[in-house]
Amino acid sequence: MSDLTPPEAARLAARAGLPLADARTAGVAATANHIHSVVSALRDLDFGDTPPAAAYRALATRHADARKENPDGTR
Amino acid sequence: MALADLTLTEASEAIRERRHSPVELVEAVLDRVERVEPRLHAYAAVTADRARHAAVRAEREIAAGRYRGPLHGVPMGLKDLIDVGGMATAAGSRIRADHRAGSDSAVAERLSAAGAVLLGKTHTHEFAYGLTTPQTNNAWDQGRVAGGSSGGSAVAVAAGTATFALGTDTGGSIRVPASLNGVVGLKPTYGLVSRHGVTSLSWSLDHVGPITRTVEDASLVLAELTGYDPRDPASVPAPGGGHRPSGADLSGLRVGVPRNYYFERVDPEVEAAVRGAVACLAELGARLVDVEIPMAEHVQAVQWGLMVPEATAYHERGLRSAPDLYADDVRALLEAGELMSAGDYVRAQRARTLMREAWAGLLDGVDVIAAPTVPMTAAPAGQTTVTWQDGTVESVSDAYVRLSAPANITGVPALTLPVGRDSAGLPIGMQLLGRPFGEDVVLRAGHAYERARPAAMGRTATAA
Repeated sequence: MSDLTPPEAARLAARAGLPLADARTAGVAATANHIHSVVSALRDLDFGDTPPAAAYRALATRHADARKENPDGTR
Repeated sequence: MALADLTLTEASEAIRERRHSPVELVEAVLDRVERVEPRLHAYAAVTADRARHAAVRAEREIAAGRYRGPLHGVPMGLKDLIDVGGMATAAGSRIRADHRAGSDSAVAERLSAAGAVLLGKTHTHEFAYGLTTPQTNNAWDQGRVAGGSSGGSAVAVAAGTATFALGTDTGGSIRVPASLNGVVGLKPTYGLVSRHGVTSLSWSLDHVGPITRTVEDASLVLAELTGYDPRDPASVPAPGGGHRPSGADLSGLRVGVPRNYYFERVDPEVEAAVRGAVACLAELGARLVDVEIPMAEHVQAVQWGLMVPEATAYHERGLRSAPDLYADDVRALLEAGELMSAGDYVRAQRARTLMREAWAGLLDGVDVIAAPTVPMTAAPAGQTTVTWQDGTVESVSDAYVRLSAPANITGVPALTLPVGRDSAGLPIGMQLLGRPFGEDVVLRAGHAYERARPAAMGRTATAA
């Protein structure tokens, strides 16, 4: 697959709700392309019926109450 | 020996037997902080008054016969991602400038209940998203990186400015700096130590664990940290029994020695030291078994496929409200993470399941796996890439993560301990990986090594 160009990276970032200043698009595109080249290796795997490893329990905890700040710590 | 240089085991024995008081120990370590911090910068914040008060309280409790256990009255540092109620968790970031944690993290709560004395918060690479901790200098050579992201914790332990410390490990962030500074670091099994109140980098990969001067010390700290916590979705009830290792006989222990991956693109001096340490394990009775690391070619893809989008998700708001407050290296990764597809992320989660199964098969055949912790010793500050003997070029960060990441993905326990020095005098670490919740086996093997080769262990940096 061809690499993202800086304008394509800017458009995809905007779709994700993250406007990028022009000065940043080339760097973000290069980093995103590098990440993509690494994670694409997983497409070689035959997963069959393998489920993802994400954790979930039906019983709620008080986690949300215990951490009242925003997750990034800003207020 | 100066009080600041005592191992945790020695310090707690001295306190329990009332040969030294917590006040003496804390004052000695604070004095060391005053002397070496100006050049090492291990701490983001030192809470000297609070530590002195806690030491007096510990001293009174012990005098009154209320000894709480081996951490009572012992000074320690917490990585600045770990919440302590009323203090900033600055996470090495300007975006956290006005932060105050509302309550203690689970591990801070546990250490406080065990009577440990908080000296301060140690530097982290910004939000743990990096392997160097640029604020902090290596304890053995100030021109070299501390390693990261728990660089402050490792340097503090190595320099005698904390008797022990906690770090976090998402892709090696306990083991890398521990190895680069010649101390012990343990990434416990995923789910064994609660992460409640610890700033996340990647929920799938984050772990909290001890950094100490000896393996025995690590076992003492771990014993106080474990336990089910419903506030951490990964937390599981810990299997019973203590973790304290004893004995130096490794008869019957099967030690896997990888024939692929872990010894590839490794500095020859690092390889020689680790192979020497593996031979020592064999001399102690262990049986060495050649093993093949499964899915090695997919390690980096799984690590990035999980970490990159999870880190970006965690910072979604900060990245939109105050992007300029992130350091350039971290901001670029967070922004690029916005462009990763959900398909890539789910694929990484499914590959993680496959890798867990493959490693379970691997660990059916051996009890521990011995390998280098990192492929090279501490790089000079500012060096960005390394060129290997086969001509390949790798970023310093990728090199430091490479041998650590499998234990983050699979969740198996991984211990690093010092096993030698390179020709520049820089520490070399060996990594011992075990079965899930097999901390006792990993610690036993590590402790047997440290008893057989005590010269490599427990020393604080001569630079201190």
